[in-house]
Amino acid sequence: MTTCPRCERDKTRLEHEGSETGRTLWRVYHCLACAFTWRDTEPAASIDAKMRDRWFQVDPDDDGGFPYNIPPAL
Amino acid sequence: MDDKTQQPTLSDTARVVAERVRSLRDYLELLDENGQYVAWPEPVMLEPDVREVAVAAGRDSMHGPAVMFDQIRGYPEKRLLIGAHGSFSNLALLLGHPKGTTIKALFHEIVGRWGSDTPLISRVSSSDAPIHENRVESDINLYDLLPLYRVNEYDGGFYIAKANVVSRDPEAPDDFDRQNVGIYRIQVHGPDLISILSVPSHDLGRQIMAAEAAGLPLKVAIMIGNHPAMCMFAATPIHYDESEFAYASQMMGSSLELTESGNGMDILAHSEMVIEAELLNNERVLEGPFGEFPGSYSGVRKVPSFRVTAVSHRDDPIFENIYIGKGWTEHDTLIGLNTSAPVYAQLKQSFPEVQAVNALYQHGLTAIISVKNRFAGFAKSVAMSALGTPHGLMYLKNLIMVDDDVDPFDLNQVMWALSTRTRASDIIVLPNMPMVIIDPAAEVPGKGHHLIIDATSFMPPDHVGADARIVTPPGGEQIDALAKRLQELRSGERS
Repeated sequence: MTTCPRCERDKTRLEHEGSETGRTLWRVYHCLACAFTWRDTEPAASIDAKMRDRWFQVDPDDDGGFPYNIPPAL
Repeated sequence: MDDKTQQPTLSDTARVVAERVRSLRDYLELLDENGQYVAWPEPVMLEPDVREVAVAAGRDSMHGPAVMFDQIRGYPEKRLLIGAHGSFSNLALLLGHPKGTTIKALFHEIVGRWGSDTPLISRVSSSDAPIHENRVESDINLYDLLPLYRVNEYDGGFYIAKANVVSRDPEAPDDFDRQNVGIYRIQVHGPDLISILSVPSHDLGRQIMAAEAAGLPLKVAIMIGNHPAMCMFAATPIHYDESEFAYASQMMGSSLELTESGNGMDILAHSEMVIEAELLNNERVLEGPFGEFPGSYSGVRKVPSFRVTAVSHRDDPIFENIYIGKGWTEHDTLIGLNTSAPVYAQLKQSFPEVQAVNALYQHGLTAIISVKNRFAGFAKSVAMSALGTPHGLMYLKNLIMVDDDVDPFDLNQVMWALSTRTRASDIIVLPNMPMVIIDPAAEVPGKGHHLIIDATSFMPPDHVGADARIVTPPGGEQIDALAKRLQELRSGERS
């Protein structure tokens, strides 16, 4: 199980694999909790939770923290 | 093409370019012939190599080339293009001017094309349109179709950031003129799931709200790798019932070839790829952050999501994308002149004294307007009027007013005017005005202070500075020739 570097939840999905001559070079994951997408070969500043600027971390349970840009009609 | 009286006056070179450039591929050929195109010679990892090359290219806003990556690690056979509109020389070539043409000259070229009212549209049947060379209607996987990547290091995901989104008014789906084409940032949330960011004041935002309120479907066609005029002019603020296709074709001075997407939108027949999608009414996904044009990240918001229903693409398609962030970036060149021109055209109607508008900086968050000053305080009134233009309302935050002897595109001249013609009492702060939601200087998102600096000369009945007599340096063709000779002598010494 892969952990999301942004919200540190384990609800992730493998999206895609890049390969060369039959060998997997990288994998892309998507977090079903906070919608973060990343490639596992990116620099640590983007994909290592310990290296990321904490300001950019997301708590998907903080429902009030994310405003609507266009509120739904319903 | 019969009624030439209403077409813009183009130079012979501009007409040749307009006739020749029918697609992104044609434009890249033109750039290549003029040394403005680079095929990156080495393999790249999408992160961080693409953003690093893009930032390096952005250092030269006059001559930065378009850069094609065709050796992408893990994406054999895929092609990614950045910087197609990344420099003023690239724009100059598109407008039929030589490389190195001054920004002021390009501004007046665009202004000269303004006001034509003859849409130049031709139709290509779906079966003949290159865009439909390949069609994917099942097992859609955007990761398989496009070399998707993170633009800036803290973006929330992978973005399609230079696409033209076509949408029709859900309440008038047959009205061509109420069909909107705009550039909106698109985040990929899954193999066939995307979000498109707009706000209620945008045309697409209005359409999303209308569709959700009435329970109507809203379909979009997302065009990637487009005719270069489309990308330049789709971002121009025009009225809701004006067609961006018509406008772009008028400005380019040649016909845009349209065909129909599988979901009934008008699309460019020669785009590299078109993603067809449908709004998931009332469903929202977490979108962002994304490094935006003010040079800072937007926050994470709940944004409408769309399901991809089909994809058409040319053989060997080019994924055209953009680097955007702390300037100078391709975004600044792409929209700068087309932000400036409508403000100029709208102001000019009331104030023929307006000479030029430079709104190149962060979409006009700072703009410089040159005006022929008539009497004391006149420029301030013109500035107030600029704030009332559609773009000025929110975007023109800091306005610097200069005289007509100052080229607003030459910052050395602007600084001279600020240094010698500005009193602290010539500054007006307008508190609590509408502002761009992502401007970090806002008091609260969407509201903040505007600033007018009057750096025009003192006019009667103002006596301050009346004794100043301006040095008139020699100018004109003679000095132009001398400058050219100096340049030749310098180059000669080097060789």
